[in-house]
Amino acid sequence: MGLHVGIDFGTSNSGVGIFHNNQVHVLPIDSKNIVPEVVKTILYITSDYKHFIGQEAVELYYKQNINRQRRFVKKWTGEIDYHGADMHYVRDVYVYVDELQPGRLMQFIKTALRSEKYVGTQVFDRFYSLSDIISTYLHALKQRAEGLLHEEISGVTLGRPVKFSQVPELDQKAQATLHQAALEAGFKQVDFELEPVAAALYYELSLSKPQIVLIFDFGGGTLDLTILRLGDPHLREVYASGGIGIAGSDFDRAIIQKRMLTHFGKGIVQHDPEILNLIHTIPDWAALPELSTPRARAELERAIQAKQAPVRLKALESMIFNDLAFSFYNMIESTKINLSDTGVTIARMKEKDLDIWELYTRKQFENDIQEHREQIQNVLMDTVYASGMEPDQIDAVVKTGGSSNIPTFTEMLNTIFGADKVKSSDVFNSVTAGLAIKAQQNS
Amino acid sequence: MIDPMIFRQANLPDLGQISSCISISTLECGKSGNISISGTLTNLNAEEALINQNKIDEWIREVEERPGSAALIIQYIANRLSELASREEELAAQNIDLLNGRKVEEYESRIANLEYQLELLKRQLGGEVNLPTEMPAIKPPIETINLLVYNPLGLVMRGEMNQVEIASGQTIGRISDWESLGDMRPNVLITTSQEELLLLFDSGRTVTLPVSQLPLLSVESLDWQQASVHEPTVKEELAAIHPIAKMSLYETCIQVSRRGFVKKFKTSFLATHITEKYIGTGVKLPADKTCGLTFANKNDLFVMVSQEGYIFSMQADRLPVAIEEVIHLGITDHIVSAFITGNKPSLLLITQNGKAVHREVSWLEPASSFKTKGQALLSKERREAGTRLIGAAAVDEADWGVILHSDGTLTTYNLRELLAAGSVPAGNQNASILCFSGFHMPEIKG
Repeated sequence: MGLHVGIDFGTSNSGVGIFHNNQVHVLPIDSKNIVPEVVKTILYITSDYKHFIGQEAVELYYKQNINRQRRFVKKWTGEIDYHGADMHYVRDVYVYVDELQPGRLMQFIKTALRSEKYVGTQVFDRFYSLSDIISTYLHALKQRAEGLLHEEISGVTLGRPVKFSQVPELDQKAQATLHQAALEAGFKQVDFELEPVAAALYYELSLSKPQIVLIFDFGGGTLDLTILRLGDPHLREVYASGGIGIAGSDFDRAIIQKRMLTHFGKGIVQHDPEILNLIHTIPDWAALPELSTPRARAELERAIQAKQAPVRLKALESMIFNDLAFSFYNMIESTKINLSDTGVTIARMKEKDLDIWELYTRKQFENDIQEHREQIQNVLMDTVYASGMEPDQIDAVVKTGGSSNIPTFTEMLNTIFGADKVKSSDVFNSVTAGLAIKAQQNS
Repeated sequence: MIDPMIFRQANLPDLGQISSCISISTLECGKSGNISISGTLTNLNAEEALINQNKIDEWIREVEERPGSAALIIQYIANRLSELASREEELAAQNIDLLNGRKVEEYESRIANLEYQLELLKRQLGGEVNLPTEMPAIKPPIETINLLVYNPLGLVMRGEMNQVEIASGQTIGRISDWESLGDMRPNVLITTSQEELLLLFDSGRTVTLPVSQLPLLSVESLDWQQASVHEPTVKEELAAIHPIAKMSLYETCIQVSRRGFVKKFKTSFLATHITEKYIGTGVKLPADKTCGLTFANKNDLFVMVSQEGYIFSMQADRLPVAIEEVIHLGITDHIVSAFITGNKPSLLLITQNGKAVHREVSWLEPASSFKTKGQALLSKERREAGTRLIGAAAVDEADWGVILHSDGTLTTYNLRELLAAGSVPAGNQNASILCFSGFHMPEIKG
């Protein structure tokens, strides 16, 4: 019989915890990370199918990819049957493949669970289903945890958002995929707990008397809300749960859409549709690396030669063909995080042919995410009313997750519930810690 | 308190493009805290402005809401203006270069270099290179193995070796008139008939020529009287000859001196130096002389071997750009070989008395700093007994070598046998070994 751990498989970050000797231990799972108890949910698969996660994946990606050479070869991928009224013919399909590509980087893996269409991706010559991708990541996490604990891990309690999707069938499918991936990763016993409930279990350790608590779990991919009674394990009761698929990555996308596209030529001149299509792909982290094709390069070169915002398009070309997209998204995320501490910051990136300087204020950021803020406030109020309570009946509001530090949301909670009730839990580890407690109960 | 309205005074253009369209005339911060930014706008397309009035209004709203942000905003803008001002300076300097034609000269020089490289490629292919149209099927000329023997007086002899007939331990030829040149110690180089040669003189002067331009002599009896003469100028000696046809495949060229001084420079610079027929002496001490070049990529392991058996190795990337003493040699010692290990697994080091010392490349301990004593190969007793290294190379078992004995005979060896035996089979007991050159047998075509 092996150990039973709790794993918070997050959109941006993950963590592993274990309850041992009446104490929660969040494992230092990524020794290379600034906070070793947090590992980035990033997977890098090299061309020889070696897998790397977390900071190690990031460092290897940078080492192997930035400003690397490319060599495109035309590769046969299949054929298409054309059936007309009186004719039928078969046509070969080719794609251009960069044969010098050293690896594939994958991030926001969890977001794919929300998607109806995403089934997986081709990594060099192998097809990785979504379940394969997640199991590869979980397997690496399991191995690292076993290395730290010097014991086999057989069971896991995985966190899950209140709703992967508003559509019940998709929600069930997402959990089934996650369950299957955990089994493939080598866990013999797999169970689930709602992430906000897990955060509540951790918060409960600090309570001396029962309270009605709203857990505001706001991470990279989703906002999860749960109102429950805590403080007495025998009288725990969930009054209401709610959530919405809006979180940190959506705010990053809003910043890019509203502030960054001009740096790549949008609005400077009337571009051709092909070029506009390239520019509008920038906010899509999954699609941007796919743009590095000879055709896209030819389109960009043609527009640059025609002096259609050449400096800006050169910047776009540099980002696509020098593999700077990952650095760009990281820069956007850092800009957003900086605005939690200060009223103004600089979105800055200077690489070959790419020079972004954007003075960005908190006020601008709040305007850019205003629509999301309103949706979040509506979901919050709906959840409170679904619990049958008024805001003043809630004893405490516990914030957890990276996005819960964004000042506008703290202000929102302060206004609705009162500043004295809003408490901040361990932003990155409270869900992991709660899952470790739940794992102990389930083992 | 900083008045947020100050921002309204400046309708700033796209800061990313400011350097080409705005000259920043003043940026003043008075004691009172009032700040004014004024600029002269010329030729600015409003659509191109990344910083427009809307953005400035947004910044003002931030300041109105959080006055503490004002100082930061000003600081950020001031930093950016300062950065752009220095870029403006750079661009203006470039503009001057363009206007006075210096850029044109630079590009002409680059074009000359590229033409030179193209010329080398043409010689390699044995004909015209038709670019960019489709390459016609050029029948490559037959490549033969050539033996070069040269000495400091600039005498160079070329003989052709029959690849099929080469055998291990075989005496392939003899240099006649051996005694007439006194102590002008000769050197041996094995190369191919399609190579391009760089003759390096100790004054830093260079001469380039294709191998095929050297008169062909019979290997069986090489005679200095028939040698091609590349006469050194006054007080000048021919230091080394190097094949350079493949130099564009390497990033760095490393110049080595007899006293263990090294400098590295980009291979593209070497092409410039070659057109100017001068690469520099590569020495710092008056008594020192340049003794060779080697080409490397930045991750290659560079190795130097001294006559008294001290070895220096270091990743090429870490070698100095300016001339520096990287190995500190004894007063009687000097460098005999410098090379990179490349993908070769072994080192072969030959002594004057016929010992063939074999070491794995992994045996090398790369130096972490300069002016080290080096890794000792020979024991103190053997050094005191007069054992000296005459050459070394990175090799594999498929490689071959040519050895020049002090009686003028030239012998070929299969290095597999030499590595296994640990010594050069003694032919003439009285003849010591003068020099050694390793080579890889090209595949026989056709």
